[in-house]
Amino acid sequence: MIAERMLEVAELQDELAGAGYIAERPLVSALLLMQDLGRPLLLEGDAGVGKTEVAKVLAAVRKTRLIRLQCYEGLDAHAAMYEWNYQRQLLAIKLLEHDDRANLKDLAQKEQDIFSERYLLARPLLEAIRCEVPPVLLIDEVDRADEAFEAYLLELLSDFQLSIPELGTVRATSIPLVVITSNGTRELSDALRRRCLYQYIDYPDHAKELAIVRKKAPTAEAVLAQQIVAFVQSVRRMALQKKPGIAETLDWTAALLRLGITTLDKDGAERILETLSALIKTRDDRAAFPPAVVARLAAAC
Amino acid sequence: MLSLVDAPTLDALAAARLTGFPGFLRANGFAVGGGDAVQAVQAAQRVGLLDPHILRWSLQALLCGRCDEWRRFDELFDAWFLPPNQWTQPAVRDAGGGTLAGGNPKPRHTGSGTNDDDDEVRPHIAASHDEVLSSTDFRALTERDHALDIEALMRRFARQLKHIRLRRESRARHGRRLDLQGTIRRSVASGGTPFQLLWKDRRRVRPRLVLLLDVSRSMTLYSFFYLRLARALSAELADVHSFIFHTRVTAVTQALREPDPWRAQEQLHLIAQGWAGGTRIGDSLVQFNREHAPRLVHSRTAVIILSDGYDTGEPQILSEALVALRRRARRIVWLNPLCRRPGYAPVAQGMAAALPHLDLLAPGADLASIAAVLPNIIDALH
Repeated sequence: MIAERMLEVAELQDELAGAGYIAERPLVSALLLMQDLGRPLLLEGDAGVGKTEVAKVLAAVRKTRLIRLQCYEGLDAHAAMYEWNYQRQLLAIKLLEHDDRANLKDLAQKEQDIFSERYLLARPLLEAIRCEVPPVLLIDEVDRADEAFEAYLLELLSDFQLSIPELGTVRATSIPLVVITSNGTRELSDALRRRCLYQYIDYPDHAKELAIVRKKAPTAEAVLAQQIVAFVQSVRRMALQKKPGIAETLDWTAALLRLGITTLDKDGAERILETLSALIKTRDDRAAFPPAVVARLAAAC
Repeated sequence: MLSLVDAPTLDALAAARLTGFPGFLRANGFAVGGGDAVQAVQAAQRVGLLDPHILRWSLQALLCGRCDEWRRFDELFDAWFLPPNQWTQPAVRDAGGGTLAGGNPKPRHTGSGTNDDDDEVRPHIAASHDEVLSSTDFRALTERDHALDIEALMRRFARQLKHIRLRRESRARHGRRLDLQGTIRRSVASGGTPFQLLWKDRRRVRPRLVLLLDVSRSMTLYSFFYLRLARALSAELADVHSFIFHTRVTAVTQALREPDPWRAQEQLHLIAQGWAGGTRIGDSLVQFNREHAPRLVHSRTAVIILSDGYDTGEPQILSEALVALRRRARRIVWLNPLCRRPGYAPVAQGMAAALPHLDLLAPGADLASIAAVLPNIIDALH
């Protein structure tokens, strides 16, 4: 039994790698546990460490749909769960008025019909629990939405059902795999944290980042990839406002390849500077990279 | 060793050890509830008890809820499950329930007036570490002079503290957008013709106020004045929460709300131990973040700190505590009584560390100066 579980972990890890995502085993075993327990997975970490990617790649591996709900300030139930199609409802009422043949029984039936599923617009949360095959539901950047929305979300995540006053309760036909991401701009409520499995994703270490670069940018030669990763890792150790994430590393790799740079060295500092806009994203941080510093960093790679 | 014990017995032993683990985490400050023990056992049954790695990762995902718990988990897991001679670092513990035999518990830093070793080298500016245990005279709290002025000013403040416009909408008589759902509901009465239109507009909510009053020795001149302000404000608004701090934080909301002046004084007497002692703003804020902020401070909360910024703690701690508080709160305003003095610059260690994280630093030595900066404060709170 023990060996079985380890095999499962290794298997899923390989599958994820096949889909282009390098995952550490703790994350993989949390993904398995999330399916076992039917609990959502809360991913926290700095921007650009690949939190959203987890959901995408999980959907790809499980060969299922990805339903994404991007949170923003002011997100409300109508945008997240369901809304009535008012235009069609009004149209139906008008048509009903001009229909002379309708008898009384028919009318009652039609009236019921106005608040039926035909006139319901499913937004991501409703859509996710009505799928036949369990989809992956990605609730992205939940910290941007406000507390009231968190409360809605709790109801859905604990019972996997939604109550629509006009229609009744919609129960989940299948329990979706819920992945919630947060950048930590706001503290989430303890209730939500308690409901979820938790996984903190850090910036990747040297070996992991190298594997990612090799995977995503196969045209970069081994030496260059090695140097790029060493460079980015030392940039991350500096006191910057916005540390470069994995996406930035890959962008920068593409930029270097585009300029035909094959090796990072001291003399190439000028050319590295040209591409640094792919890695450094704020003005203050840019000021921390005069040519001398870049040359020193490049020489150390 | 393993071969001597039957597999079922080993399983049972491990399971027994496992059930105590959530309690051990709770004793170490994790937000773990009673139901989590059941969940942990269920999860362990699925993944198998005897593989340390899988069990570790699964429990970490299950029982952690935030980043700092995540980082501390490995150490605690080792301390609980590995035999005493195999784990490397002793874990910090503060409750007897989870102590391990043979452990070497570090004394936990309580922040309640004990001197740090390196503090002796740093010059003391105006504040000191010592808590003053002598009694303080609280009669000034309900003094008659200026009482009316203070009340009038706070009433003005409460009235001007207009509601924050939220992105969230609710029904309104006039508004920006048609409320289709409501309009259709209303149109049923007139056979589907929407005679009466309903509208939506942004909802407005008054911010919650949290007052943090510095009552250390360097603030002696002002602390009573601030306490009276807080009392007058609590009388005007329901959603005001007041705390005093020196080397630690104490809630005084209830005492200030007490309508009977004598009983208010009595209550303050009981909780004011350490009044006019040393200041550790950073440690106090860390304590506030830990004990009160999760419950009190949300994204519509304005935190108002009333302090001179003389801090004997590490400026680094203050800075980090403010960053954490800033993430929860909507605004942080700092009223500094010294701000008005000619030639004042926020150079006190504490003030310099705090400045980058504040929305407003305003003077507030007396009634007149607070009245003068009131518009700025109200602007900052919106």
